[in-house]
This record gives sequence, structure tokens and C-alpha cells, in this order.
Amino acid sequence: MIHLFFIFALLLCFLPLLPGMVGLLLPSLSWIPTLGFDSVSISAFYDVATWPNLSASIALSLSTGLGSTVLALFFTYTILKRYWGTSRWLKLERTLSPMLAMPHVAFAIGFSLLFSPTGWVFRLIGALGISDVAGIDLIQNNLIQDNYGIGLMLALAIKETPFLIIMSIPILKQLNVEQLSKVSASLGYSHLETWRKVIIPQWLPKLRLPLFAVAAYGLSVVDIALILGPTRPATLSVLVWQWFNDPDLQQLPRAAAGASLLLFITAASLGLIRLVEWLSFKHQRGWITKGAKAVKNAKRNPIRHLALYSPFIAIPVLIVPLLFVWSFAHRWRFPDLLPSRYSERFWLQELPTLTDLISTSLLLAFVSSALALILVIACLEYRQKFQRALPAWLIAIPLVTPQLSLLFGIQIVTYIIPGQHYWLWVSWSHLIFVFPYMYLALDGAWRSYDVRLDQCSRSLGLTAWQTWWRVKRAQVQPAIIFGLAIGISVSLAQYLPTQMLGAGRISTLTTEAVALASGQDRRVMAIYGLLQGILPFIFFTLAIVANRLSYRWRHYRQYSLQNTHISNKSKEYTHG
Amino acid sequence: MKKTFLGLALALASGLSTAAVSNEPEQNWDEIVKQANGQTVYFNAWGGSQEINDYVRWAGRQLQSQYGISLKHVKVADIAETTQRLLAEKAAGKHQGGSVDLVWINGENFRSMKHSNLLYGPFTQQLPNWQYVDTRLPIDEDFTEPTAGLEAPWGVGQLVFIHDKETLNNPPKNFAELLSLARAFPGKVSYPQPPEFHGSSFLKAALLELTDEPDSLYTAIDSQTQRQRFEQVTAPLWHYLDQLHPVAWQQGKRFPSGTSETIQLLDDQQLLLAITFNPNAANAAIENGNLVDTAQTYAFEQGALSNIHFLAIPWNAQAKEGALVTINFLMSPEAQARKADAKIWGDPSVLKPESLANSGAQGFSLFKSIPEPHPSWLTAIELEWQKRYGS
Repeated sequence: MIHLFFIFALLLCFLPLLPGMVGLLLPSLSWIPTLGFDSVSISAFYDVATWPNLSASIALSLSTGLGSTVLALFFTYTILKRYWGTSRWLKLERTLSPMLAMPHVAFAIGFSLLFSPTGWVFRLIGALGISDVAGIDLIQNNLIQDNYGIGLMLALAIKETPFLIIMSIPILKQLNVEQLSKVSASLGYSHLETWRKVIIPQWLPKLRLPLFAVAAYGLSVVDIALILGPTRPATLSVLVWQWFNDPDLQQLPRAAAGASLLLFITAASLGLIRLVEWLSFKHQRGWITKGAKAVKNAKRNPIRHLALYSPFIAIPVLIVPLLFVWSFAHRWRFPDLLPSRYSERFWLQELPTLTDLISTSLLLAFVSSALALILVIACLEYRQKFQRALPAWLIAIPLVTPQLSLLFGIQIVTYIIPGQHYWLWVSWSHLIFVFPYMYLALDGAWRSYDVRLDQCSRSLGLTAWQTWWRVKRAQVQPAIIFGLAIGISVSLAQYLPTQMLGAGRISTLTTEAVALASGQDRRVMAIYGLLQGILPFIFFTLAIVANRLSYRWRHYRQYSLQNTHISNKSKEYTHG
Repeated sequence: MKKTFLGLALALASGLSTAAVSNEPEQNWDEIVKQANGQTVYFNAWGGSQEINDYVRWAGRQLQSQYGISLKHVKVADIAETTQRLLAEKAAGKHQGGSVDLVWINGENFRSMKHSNLLYGPFTQQLPNWQYVDTRLPIDEDFTEPTAGLEAPWGVGQLVFIHDKETLNNPPKNFAELLSLARAFPGKVSYPQPPEFHGSSFLKAALLELTDEPDSLYTAIDSQTQRQRFEQVTAPLWHYLDQLHPVAWQQGKRFPSGTSETIQLLDDQQLLLAITFNPNAANAAIENGNLVDTAQTYAFEQGALSNIHFLAIPWNAQAKEGALVTINFLMSPEAQARKADAKIWGDPSVLKPESLANSGAQGFSLFKSIPEPHPSWLTAIELEWQKRYGS
């Protein structure tokens, strides 16, 4: 049974990658017979290599992609170190979901409406009369589409930090940080030392896959880079995207070769990250095992509490109302702080199509996430049972391969099959991209699940299914619910698979948002940005509420059980 | 797995031997209208403009009630996506039941589709509304590429500028004056970054004015083998840009992404001039709250670079009859007059003014027009721009 599911997962989620790869490699070797390219050559790679400023584009991709990853990891670590296990943690955890839920495109739109030279922040600065302060000029012109990609890097880092934090929650829970801290403290470690020497070495390896996903995303992102990234030159991914969109079909091998290059650079970068991790742990082993420092710095970090995670809250808190106001603005000229005329006409214009769009988006998200959940659980159980896991590189393929190139090959295969099965192809392709994210979301919980609980439960007479449902599910449920929310939000954000495999006949909020964003009407962009953000937000909120309720429910039961126990005992006492 | 591989290989190979253009016998128009009834037409068209999307929705309602055709607007961010899709379908040997029934194209995309035999036709002559088309317009050429009846004209694009009478009462009338303006107000002039459509068109318009050999632009160029000719013709353009960029918006380190951003920047008072291919764009933008009431479009003295945008049917379209009826409807005086209304879209009609007048709409005069150069120049100029100013 579980064998069957495992094979299903392989067939459904990874087999389509093969024609995808073939469909990428053959054109990059200039073999597209339909276009008259019927001999293999590497001239396309030559075209790519001689493209003016290619190295600058590559450098930008690397600096924004890897830079944002390092920054996001640093933010994640700092925030976790500071707040994990404190009273503020719950509050913080609640604020994470709006950030995570907001789709990248909506976030980028909001970010640019805030920080472009005529954005709201600089309107405010102008209104406050402090625009002459030294340095503001420099910031004003260097956050959106700046030549060094600083704005892009910051936006990516801010957007990815909540993802890494949420991915860390099950890991830290399972590490049992509280206990570790107590033990380390009793051995004389300071708070900082505990985190550096005890927690990081256990946390980081388990966070590896999410980290890879963040890095790969940063390196190959197109949509955010188009809105926030540099243009002269653009990042490599944007360049390849432009090549793919070149109407001259004779240039297709160049695009395919560019996509192969992007794939190679992404793979090499992930290898580099792994190498750095390995080297630092190897060489720091002595430092890690040396124990606590003799001299203590008892003073805690003097940084004020709010400062650390405020950007992660302030930006969405500003973005949502800003999008809202823009969606009702009829006339809002720079440098006005508020629109001079309002109108609901843009909403009215869009309303008739919205119900259709929303139901299509949700149906796709539910189907693909539910299927992915079953397959992911099957794979994880299979791993636990047979010690045979899906290799990390396989999981990573859909995450690290630029979607555009994979889909081109897959698309060709769907045409070979007669008939028009657009719904099937689109939901299948969503499954391919939802699966790895959900796998990442659940991996930590399964990895750190204590198998002895299973043995214990079985020895107490529960069947395998009962054990799973009553013991294991209770442990991994928070991860499952978050996984579902993540899956749904990944599916909701898919643009290329929906557009390419659905032949444009299946419209979702996201395809509509991207199509309309090419017209750059701030009002319409704002409407779709808002709607695109609201749907995943609802699911993340539901996930949090569900987890909290079940947590309370369990505790309540335990608490009441304990109480009856105690009161019984006290009765015994009085009777005695 | 082996089967998939084989299938892919076969599909790629089979593309070699296929003859693309289907030659169906000419049908009676009434017969076509009858067959079109009940068909669903998937219309792949740029979806970046609310005015246009709204217009297409209106056309869909009319087609439904008049002909029983269901028109679905497949909004694409760039029509090249559709070119790629059709190519892929062709590669897989999908010669029937394709996913696209109607496309909105011109220029490079048309050339590409025509040369890859991705288009159905010729069909234009059998459309009843063909008789109203203004044949004085260059409708049989698309960027010097003969249309050969493979696409039907839908509207006219003219490269014009928008200025605000309040802030710039006396806008530049040629590229030399544009440079003086930029020098007088540094940071207030720019153009969309090539290879964006409007940016490349700006370069072509500038080249047409600045070069000593404008006629040369109407014959094909191969910038590899005819390097010397290319340099000779284009040298004045690069000299001009070298002077313009240091005084341009953001010192020419950055350029707007397209026409919409220039309009946005004009409204944000960052730029003095916006650029557009719709000679009525200012009115539509005012109507939508994107520009002040004092904005207006105008063309340079030399005239406006003009082209026509077209409708075409892919060779493997499922609903060819429905597509033909749709095109015929979109070319009707009723539909063209509504399209030309500045409050709705403002796209100039391709019909004779008298046929439009009959339907009660006001025709309006176009700016003096300059025809588009050969597409090979576009590619060559874009590449050279990239080399010189790409970073």
C-alpha cells in the first residue's frame, strides 16, 4: 500500500521533470527540427557567452540571490535567538502569517508603491519637510530598480525571513530548546553561547532544504525582479525571460541555453552553500566543543525589543492599507499624501469576473494541495519505515529549475496527447510545484519525530493505524496544517504553469494580476494585489486558529484530567 | 518513460515534414456564419489595458447576441507567449484542435508566425466588411512584411508624445529640440528602455530624423555582414544618445519600463513628456484619472511613426468560422466607431471615414505618418543599444 503511494508520488511529481529537462537541453543544443535547427551545435551557448554585460547580469543574480538568502538567514537567526521561548513569541508567531501569506507579486507591488522615488514613504518625507536631510536623496533614488539590486535584495530578504522562521518552528520544537538551554546554562553557557554552539549546529542542517529553496528562488525569480530589480543590466533570470519572449523564434536556442546556464549557476550556488556549511562546521568543531567561556557578559543585548522584527510587521501593515487606498483612488498625483478624487469604478469593472477567478483559483489550490499532502505523508512514512528517502536533489529539482524552461518541455508532451485536457495539466503542474514546498514544510516534523513513541504505543496494544492517528498525528498536526496553508498559497501564486499548460484558458487571480500588471495601472494592480494577498492570508489565519484551538483543547483536557485526579486525591485525604 | 521519449522525439521530428498552411475551399459567408453559431473563440490578446479589456468584453456580448459566438479573452502579458505556444503545438504535430483561435499581432510577431507557417489564410478578402477598409492606409504591409491576406487590420498605432500644457506649453517639435529641452531641464526627459516596443520605436523615429540615409532603413540589413553600412547609417543616432543620456532622467542610468510608466512619471512630474502609440492616449488617460486635464498628445514635425495592428487566425485553430465572424464583426463600422471613441479606447479606425460617418461616429484625423522601417533594423538597433548602453 505505502509502496504504491511512494511510486505514485514519484510518477506524479517527478516523472514530468524528465521531458521537461529534455525539452530544455535539446533546444539549448540547437536541436529544434521544426524551426530548421536539425544539427546539434553549441552556437547558442556562444551567443549567450558573447551577450554584452552577461557577467554583470550573472554577478547581479548572485549578489541579490545569495545576498538575500544570507540576510534572511541572519534575520531568522537573530529573531529566533531573541524571542524563542519568550512571552513575545506567540505574538510574533501570529504576525508572521500575513507576511508569509502575501504573494510575492503583491508584496513587490506594495513595496514599490511605498519606496519608489514617488512612493508613499517619500511623499510622507516630503510632507514632513525633511526631504532635504542628507542621505534621503540617495535612498530615494536607490531602492527601486537601482543598479546594484539593493532594493531587490532587501525585498527578497524581508519576504523570505518569515518563511525561514516558520520552517524553523517545528525544528526548534523538536530540538526542545528549553531543555537544551537549561542544560547549557547549568554548564555555564550564556544565552548567546547556547544558541551559537548548541542550537545552530542542530538547527541549520535541518533547515538546509528550505534554505536551498530560498536561495534558488532568489537566483531565478522573474516577477519580483521585473518590478523591483535593476534593468541595466537586468539579473540573469530576467534576461533569460526576455530571450524566451523574443518573438524571433530563431533565437529560441539562445533562450534555452540561457536557461541551462541559469540552472547551472543555481546548482553551483547551492553546492557552494552546502560547502560553506560543511567547512564551517568542520573547522569550528573545536570551538563548538570547547565549552563555555570563562568570563560572562551578563548584560543582555541592549537593542530594544520592537526593533528586531518591526520591519517584518511594518511593511505589510503599511502595504495592505496602501493597496486598499490605491484601489479606490481615481486621481492621486505626486506628491499628494492622499488621493484627490476617489472612485469605486475600478472595483465595479472587475467585480463580474472576480467570482469566477476566485473559485478557479481555490479549486486548483485545494486539489493540488490535498493530493500533495497525501503523497508527501506517504513519502515521509515510507522513509521512516524503509529508511529510503526521496533524495534531496530530487526534491530540489522543481524548486531550483527555472519554471520557464521545465514547462516548455512538459508543454510539448501535453500536445502529443490528443484532446483538450487543460484542467488536468494545470492541476498536475501545480502539484509538481506544491509537492516540494509541502515536503519541506513537513520534513522537519517527521525527521524529529521520536520513533520510540510509536514503539511504545504499539507495545501498549494500539494498531499501526491507531498509533498513527492517535499518537503521531497529534505530534505532527501543526506541521500538517501549516503545510496545507503553504501548499495552498504556493498553488495560488503559480503563474507560468497555469498560463502555459492551461493555454491561457484557465484564468486565476494570479494570471489576471500579472496580465494586468503589464499595463501598470496602479489602481487595478492594487485590486489584484489585495485579492491575491487576502486568499492565502485567510488560509494561514485558519491554520493558526486551528492549531491554537487544538492545542488549547489538548491542554484543557489534560488540565481537567489532572484536576479530577487532584480533587480525587484531596478527597482521599479528607476521608483518610 | 521510453514511450514519452519516443513520443517527444517523433513529435519534434514530425514537425519537419508538415505543410503548414491549410488550403480549404472558399466557403459561402452565410455557411460560415451558420457554422460559427455556438462556437467558442479563444482570443489571445495583450491584457494590460483596462480600456481594451472592457472593449473586448463589450464585443463578446455583441457577438453572443448577434451570432451566438462565445468570445473568451485570453489575456497575455506579451503576445510572444502565444507565438511560443503555437510553435510548441506545431512541434508536437498538433495540426488540429489548437488552443488559440484568434490573435492580436503585428510587426515582429507577425513576421515570425508567417515565416514559421503558423497562420491560416489568406482569408481577408472573403470578409463582408472588407469593403469598408480604408485602402489608403498601408494595410497590406506590416513593418514592410507583406500581409498576404493572413491578417486583417484592426486599428492604427502612431508614435506620439504627451505633454501637460500647464508645465510645458511649447513642447519640442523634433529630436534636436528634445535634446535642448533635456539640457535646459536635466533629468526630465527619457524614453522606455529598448527592447521594449515603445523604446525601440523611439530609437527608430530618432534615427529616421537624424540619419543622412533614411531610405536605407526600408531595405533589410544584416548587422553582421553589413557592419559598415549599419555604422554609417546609425552613427548620428548613437552620437545623439551619447549627448542625451547624461541629461536624461536618472542621468540615463535607468529608463522607464514602458509607455504606462512614462505616463505615470509625467503625472508624477518626474518627466515632461510621455510616449505612446495611441494618438488618443491622453484623453483616455484623463478619463481614467491618470493624467491632468491639461495633458494632450502631439506628434513631431517629421510626423508620427505609424503602423497597423492586425487580427490573425492560427493554422490549427479549432473555431476558424467563429474567428472569421469575430474578425468581421470587429471590422464593422459599429465596432470600429466604438473603438475610436476616446472615452472607451480611442484607437483610430481602419475604415474609410465615410463608412464610419454612416454609423454616426465622429472620425478624427490622424497625424502625418511615417511608415515603419524594415524589421531587421529593429533587431540590429536593439542589439547595438544593448551593447552600448546595456549597463
